[in-house]
Amino acid sequence: MRISDYIEVAGSNLWKRKLRTILTTVGVVIGIGALVCMFAFGQGVQRNITDQFNKVDVLNNIVVSPPRQDGRRRLRDSDDPDDSARAAGPVAVADANGATRAKLDARFLEEARKIPGVETVFPELRFPAQIRVGAKERFTLVQVLSADICRSGSMPMRAGRCYDANEPNALMVSETFVHRLGIGGPQDAIGREVEVVTLSLDFGLRSLMRMAFPQEGKMGLPVARSSYRFKIVGVAERMPFGGMSDAYVQPEAADGMRKLAFTNIWDLYQEPGEGANYSSVTVKAKSPADVPAIKKELESRGYNTFTLMDQFDQMRIGFLIMDMFLLAVGMIGITVASLGIVNTMVMSILERYREIGIMKAVGATDGDVQRIFLFESGAIGLLGGMFGLALAGSVAFVINEVINAIMVRQHAPRMAYFSFPWWLCLGAILFSVLVSLLAGLYPTGRAARVDPVVALRHD
Amino acid sequence: MSDDGFIETAGLSKVYAFGEVEVAALRDVTLSIPRGRLVGITGASGSGKSTLMNLLGGLDTPSAGTIRVDGRLISDLNKRELALYRRDTIGMIFQSFNLVGAYTALENVAFPLLFAGVAKKRRRERAAEILKAVGLEGRMHHRPTELSGGEQQRVAIARALVNEPRILLADEPTGNLDSKTSRQIMEILADLNRSRGLTLIMISHEQALLREFSNEVISLQDGAVVTREALR
Ligand SMILES: Nc1ncnc2c1ncn2[C@@H]1O[C@H](COP(=O)(O)OP(=O)(O)OP(=O)(O)O)[C@@H](O)[C@H]1O
Ligand SMILES: [Mg+2]
Repeated sequence: MRISDYIEVAGSNLWKRKLRTILTTVGVVIGIGALVCMFAFGQGVQRNITDQFNKVDVLNNIVVSPPRQDGRRRLRDSDDPDDSARAAGPVAVADANGATRAKLDARFLEEARKIPGVETVFPELRFPAQIRVGAKERFTLVQVLSADICRSGSMPMRAGRCYDANEPNALMVSETFVHRLGIGGPQDAIGREVEVVTLSLDFGLRSLMRMAFPQEGKMGLPVARSSYRFKIVGVAERMPFGGMSDAYVQPEAADGMRKLAFTNIWDLYQEPGEGANYSSVTVKAKSPADVPAIKKELESRGYNTFTLMDQFDQMRIGFLIMDMFLLAVGMIGITVASLGIVNTMVMSILERYREIGIMKAVGATDGDVQRIFLFESGAIGLLGGMFGLALAGSVAFVINEVINAIMVRQHAPRMAYFSFPWWLCLGAILFSVLVSLLAGLYPTGRAARVDPVVALRHD
Repeated sequence: MSDDGFIETAGLSKVYAFGEVEVAALRDVTLSIPRGRLVGITGASGSGKSTLMNLLGGLDTPSAGTIRVDGRLISDLNKRELALYRRDTIGMIFQSFNLVGAYTALENVAFPLLFAGVAKKRRRERAAEILKAVGLEGRMHHRPTELSGGEQQRVAIARALVNEPRILLADEPTGNLDSKTSRQIMEILADLNRSRGLTLIMISHEQALLREFSNEVISLQDGAVVTREALR
């Protein structure tokens, strides 16, 4: 038999039993539709998250922090049962040989730059300050951030721009901070003059005198306030870098400011004479491929590291589990649909029992008979797959519109929550055909084995 | 090769088993049928006529014994080879016509050509040709339910001829027809035997009619050949 004949025979047989064909196909359409919808949603979520990661180019970053033992050790007693457990981890290495050496200071920056694969190293320095705009005044932590890091794309901007290296008086703030200051929208903040008031320890004579003889309305602590003028040039989207800071200045500007540099509560326990340590340092690798080696090197030197790469890998496992779950749910529909196909094929074969006998009497081989019926179940699968894909597309479109309508009202950007990569579309149709053929295997095998003598024996 | 042994059977037996009980439908049948003959087969109901026909037609396989057609050992063929043998060498006609109810006369006649891999256009041409030969050119697009018994059997004959077989097997082709129509069908078959040289084996209960057209009549009883009567 010719392929075109199989197709024609299958088509005309299905057409003759329109209602049954349609009902069986609808089962497949729903099964495939549900499966594809689930998968497309899973893909959409993964794509959105992956895009987010790639857009901000943070997979190259390794955030290094000093071993946590200084503060915690001193606050807790070493007979804490946790300590024995912790002794096995990388922190133990730090305890053993890094307790005094693993510090995040200027020397660390220099040495880290020498590790192969490292592009740049920049400290993360934060200091407390009061920021004044007109009559409004808010307390916050200011982060020191170099212009090139801002411009590397790590900071999505809401309004304005990143500052330039040659404008030391430029300041960037977060969108939330604009809100807290109550100066309208992000656009309204651009170009506004602000005053940054810092605190610093002052062991000068006047200060010490004041501590000894506190005056009315003045602080007794040896703290000095210094005021600096800045101009807002950019408003960043949300709060990047962990959300700790609301304002950003350049290292050049920060160097000239008197300030109390700390962000980590343990910094307060810093032993005198240890010098200025950074609370954390970001080591940027040349490419994500360099990250694991650099991370290992830093950990062997006793530092704690945090990479989004690790989180990303964890997430990939999460994606896989999510896919499996969605697949399992989707398979329920497919299973029911394939039972429908088995049922339809068994019925069709019983109805055409005598016809099978005739086919064999006029020279059809067992293979011819089986293929005629397999083309029928395959055709149901093909139709089911195509319409199932169309159904999934329409359902996804509607759900996407609904979610976006809700999310946009909450100022979230418009997004595609479903993704239909080409392999999913093609795979869905192939899968549908394959499942239908598998479902048809048993009934068509029975058809092929029909004994023509029995089938043709007159009633 | 001698035409004497065109179809030859030797010790042909068929036993059906129902659990412990065995029914011998055919016992030790040894026959030789020359090419181009019209052989009638008769016998009581259950005497094994249809069983013999199904074995000769390759629809069934013997329990013992051999079948040779034109020197070829048919009883040794596998399922696939038997299918091709049925397709290329045999044309079968049944008492109950066995037409596909959903197909028109033309489609029924063209059906065997499907399995021979003939292109669609050629299938239709060939089927139309043969339907014309059996006098049904006006009934080509009718379905079996719209045709009389005689017309249906003529469609079945056309279908049996479409692959140009060398042997025609007819199992009570007139069993469902009135006497006038029976005679018409017999005439068509006898004419095919004469004009095309087809070897024709025909089962019938109608002794008179069978004797009128056959070269030889074989009688079966309880699965065995009891008489062979040469007529002309
Ligand atoms: N598939 C089968 N299974 C079991 N027994 C069978 C089968 N086919 C035929 N028989 C038995 O074999 C015997 C011969 O049957 P067969 O059909 O050849 O008879 P027949 O001569 O054609 O009869 P009729 O004139 O009624 O058609 C019968 O006893 C029948 O019951
Ligand atoms: Mg019979």
